[in-house]
Amino acid sequence: MSEPLLRATNLVKEFPVLGTGGLVRPPQRFRAVDDVSFEIRAGETLALVGESGSGKSTTARLAARLLDVTSGTVELDGEDVTTLKRSALNRFRSEVQVVFQDPFSSLNPRHTVERIVTAPLVYQGRPVPGGARAFTRSLMERVGLDPDHSQKYPAQFSGGQAQRIGIARALAVGPRVVVCDEAVSALDVSVQAQVINLLRDLQREEGLTYLFIAHDLAVVRQIATRVAVMTQGQIVEEGDRDAVFGAPSHEYTRKLLDAVPRIRPEWERQRRANAARASEVQFGAQA
Amino acid sequence: MTTESSVKNDTDALLEVRDLTVTFQTPRGPLDAVRSLDLDLEPGGALGIVGESGSGKSMTSLAIMGLQPRAARRTGSVRLRGRELVGMSEADLRRVRGDRIAMVFQDPLSSLNPYYTVGLQIEEAYRAHRPGVTRRAARKVAIAALERVRIRDAARRVHHYPHQFSGGMRQRVMIAMALSMEPELLIADEPTTALDVTVQAQILDLLQEIRRETGTGLVLITHDLAVVSEITDHIVVMKDGVCVERGPVEQIFTRPQHPYTQALLDAVPRIDDEIGELRAVAPGAVVADAVAEKNGGAA
Repeated sequence: MSEPLLRATNLVKEFPVLGTGGLVRPPQRFRAVDDVSFEIRAGETLALVGESGSGKSTTARLAARLLDVTSGTVELDGEDVTTLKRSALNRFRSEVQVVFQDPFSSLNPRHTVERIVTAPLVYQGRPVPGGARAFTRSLMERVGLDPDHSQKYPAQFSGGQAQRIGIARALAVGPRVVVCDEAVSALDVSVQAQVINLLRDLQREEGLTYLFIAHDLAVVRQIATRVAVMTQGQIVEEGDRDAVFGAPSHEYTRKLLDAVPRIRPEWERQRRANAARASEVQFGAQA
Repeated sequence: MTTESSVKNDTDALLEVRDLTVTFQTPRGPLDAVRSLDLDLEPGGALGIVGESGSGKSMTSLAIMGLQPRAARRTGSVRLRGRELVGMSEADLRRVRGDRIAMVFQDPLSSLNPYYTVGLQIEEAYRAHRPGVTRRAARKVAIAALERVRIRDAARRVHHYPHQFSGGMRQRVMIAMALSMEPELLIADEPTTALDVTVQAQILDLLQEIRRETGTGLVLITHDLAVVSEITDHIVVMKDGVCVERGPVEQIFTRPQHPYTQALLDAVPRIDDEIGELRAVAPGAVVADAVAEKNGGAA
């Protein structure tokens, strides 16, 4: 087994509680992430699942260095990155990028696609390889967008397309790890399927590593290699995807899986059988 | 004679929507948010309206109640137990809304007034529809309604403000308010979309239970195919303002006829199975086909 690419050890994040504490007395502290450890190997997808308030998004933000830890360490490729500053932090940012839930609120509405996707390079003071126009076109092709639309604004795209822009921006710096924070949650089911496919293709073709934050267990089933279940700031169960879904060991995981609404499996089998028969008939008629 | 028997037939149905169309005037000409939609619901039945964003499903629920935006024009017929709601005076309509038809929305926090206790809000809504009812009697109704939706310690909780409830509890409060009037029809528009999955399961169970016990008819509007498959018995699939397919739930899920329904079902991620490649829904001439079909033209 290879060394993990990203490792989090004993992560803790506390926030002060508003309205508590005074001049002398320190405010009460709320522990959002409580001693969380995980590892992700290169080319894998670790899904952090949980309900609202479980601490999964905060954990992702700690791992991506968007928030500073209260204690614990984050390592990338064996290097401790927990307290990196300035240029060293920029180097880390070109290795680890984030895709957010709401594509429209995470894209500047007054900037063109070209300006949005080249921004991470500009902020890090790096040259844009091959010039902004050509670079943007090739990125847009990689995420399945029409490269002729590089001068358009976010509002001119649909939700699914806007999320592709968010993914293109994350890929611009050539990261090895992409943190997807509910990246497909706001999308319609048909568009969601397309974006999941895109993320899978990118992983297969470019060896990307994902930390995938989601509340939707059915989506996680489609994309995860391993799954960690969080509740109340802690990981209560972690394992290979099929083990967690097939034989959950923690009571909370079982409760979560039981609660997911599902289409009856026998209906699904019948539908697939009917569809297969229909396409046979059609094929036979054409022949 | 004939009119009498036709009226009788009409009253058999709880909700009968015919040719419902909601039109907006835009600079580029009229745009139908909902076009020529028919819906039928038997007393105590549960109808699911499913569609993606922009399908017109929410506009449909508003138009049933006559709550479409002012800029929109509604035509067609909406009958509740045979009584025509389209063209009814605003005063009459207000008596029907909240009393005979109640509605639950996605976001309970924005539907509740943060300045008043939940008890007072239920009581006010109740007394608005039941003139002459005393505060004391209304308070009893509010407590009973909260108990109905399994809010523990209801007699104390009526004094609490919306922010003192969790998201799932707030949705229970909304359902309690809707039920306090003992409506014949409950329209729930994405009632569980904003909720955690374990809370969603509780709310869906509650809706099922209410239907069983009180015989309230349910129209459930949602984007979630798994949810409708679990709690409704008939389904209408909408896209771009038109119904592309309708039928009993089992038929829709085992023998979908329309390519859009088929593609939609293919795109649903399954929790119990990894699909090799999720098939995306192809945009296309779906709407034109459905309209042509409805108009009886051989498309």
